[in-house]
Amino acid sequence: MLASLKAVGIGKVYESGLIFKSQKTILQNISLELEEGQTLGLMGVSGSGKTTLGKILAGLERPTAGRVLFGGKDIQRLHKKEFTLFRRQVQMVFQDPEGSLNPRKSIEEAIHDVLGLLKIPKGEWRERSLDLLETMGLSDELLCRYPGQISGGQNQRVALGRVLLLNPRFMILDEPTSALDLSVQAQMLSLLKDLQRDRGLGYLLISHQSDVVKYMAHEIFILEEGRMKPMS
Amino acid sequence: MNCRHIKNRLLPTNTSLCSLVLFLSFLLMALLAPVIAPYDPYIRFEPYRSPSLEHLLGTNDLGNDIFSELIYSSRVSLIVGFGAALMATIIGTVIGLFAGYFKGTPDEILMGITDIFLMIPQIPLIIILAAFLMPSFYLIALIMGSLWWTSTARVVRSKALQIRETSFVEAARSLGFSDMHIIFSDILPNIVHVITPKFLMAIASAMIAESSISFLGLGDPTAKSWGMMINFAFIRGGFINDYWWWYLPPGICITLFVLSVVLISYAFEESEEAALRIE
Repeated sequence: MLASLKAVGIGKVYESGLIFKSQKTILQNISLELEEGQTLGLMGVSGSGKTTLGKILAGLERPTAGRVLFGGKDIQRLHKKEFTLFRRQVQMVFQDPEGSLNPRKSIEEAIHDVLGLLKIPKGEWRERSLDLLETMGLSDELLCRYPGQISGGQNQRVALGRVLLLNPRFMILDEPTSALDLSVQAQMLSLLKDLQRDRGLGYLLISHQSDVVKYMAHEIFILEEGRMKPMS
Repeated sequence: MNCRHIKNRLLPTNTSLCSLVLFLSFLLMALLAPVIAPYDPYIRFEPYRSPSLEHLLGTNDLGNDIFSELIYSSRVSLIVGFGAALMATIIGTVIGLFAGYFKGTPDEILMGITDIFLMIPQIPLIIILAAFLMPSFYLIALIMGSLWWTSTARVVRSKALQIRETSFVEAARSLGFSDMHIIFSDILPNIVHVITPKFLMAIASAMIAESSISFLGLGDPTAKSWGMMINFAFIRGGFINDYWWWYLPPGICITLFVLSVVLISYAFEESEEAALRIE
């Protein structure tokens, strides 16, 4: 059975001020559904709330209204075990490729951390790390390097590879190619398409680059003044 | 493949190298006191002797060899300095990390406690406690350690607040790492460059405070420290008779050790800034 990630009536309001509170509505009554093997494109100008919506769907931020349903269950009401499963199956890839990896950890340590999280025996870590680099089209000499010592595209591939170790079903891609140059962008998008075809991943692709969204998405929405509208 | 060669290595400057040599010399002096010192500091010779080949810094009012006393005194001074600084740094770091990472109510509670501790006049409190409780260097180190963590906590909190919003921390949360893993494996290594100079400066402050308390006669009279040596020189005729070999060497030791610690701290900050520029 195909799983789904659903947002129902999502709203997000930010409050500021100690005595005289001012409110800023970021999202209003947003509903969407992500399905496996499908890409939903989300566009909008800077500050329109695209990333906030992505974080809410990934369970990294709480909405002020509405619910996020994973497999039909509200993620705020999941038991610890169910939430761990949700956490692994819904992943987020961030915009800043270099910033997505801890600058104090080598690529090897960054990958080993995830393997440790998955409780994979230590003896297999080296082999699994090399497999991951091969899958992502990266050289094994990268293992010794630090995020500041490799290119943005390589960092983004490592970040994506770490996420894929968890075997997610849905990925929130927050401007995954905006910080990359054109040729690397094309490689990255093609890699994402291949992964979707091979693993049946569901994507929410957040971007302000219409060409990228049109190339990737099956359906496109625009976020404007906190509301989501289908792109004509 | 060996990963060691990849890490950026920064060459030490002359100043940092000199301060490191000085710092290590004092550490060795404390560790190897029984080997280096020519006499047991409690053995009595003829009192008030001037410096000679037999007694390099002469003898004090009790006839103890001052040079041996100076070497043995480094032990107490360094134990108090390191002990108090270590305790203050650990408490401050843990409180700052938790307040900055969890924000909200935990932050308000922990920073409220920090504000209360900040309001306590620390040196007068240490003097009062040292005067009323049994004089002991361990107690002084304990009191200083439990009062001096506030500035570390504030600095660590502000850095933790900043780092918790970075993409790699959000990525770690998204991957499902526990809060403890994120705090100690992702945030802590990124604020070591802030904690280390605080730790080093705390050593220097604790040593000066210990010397001041000992000079005021509130230290442990049975234990030998540099501050206690100056106190004895002051109250037993060293200053009046201008026996410089009695009161000057411990003062110079305190100054040189504090200077070495401060210079290492500056060198560490500079190398971190340079490393950031390279990145």
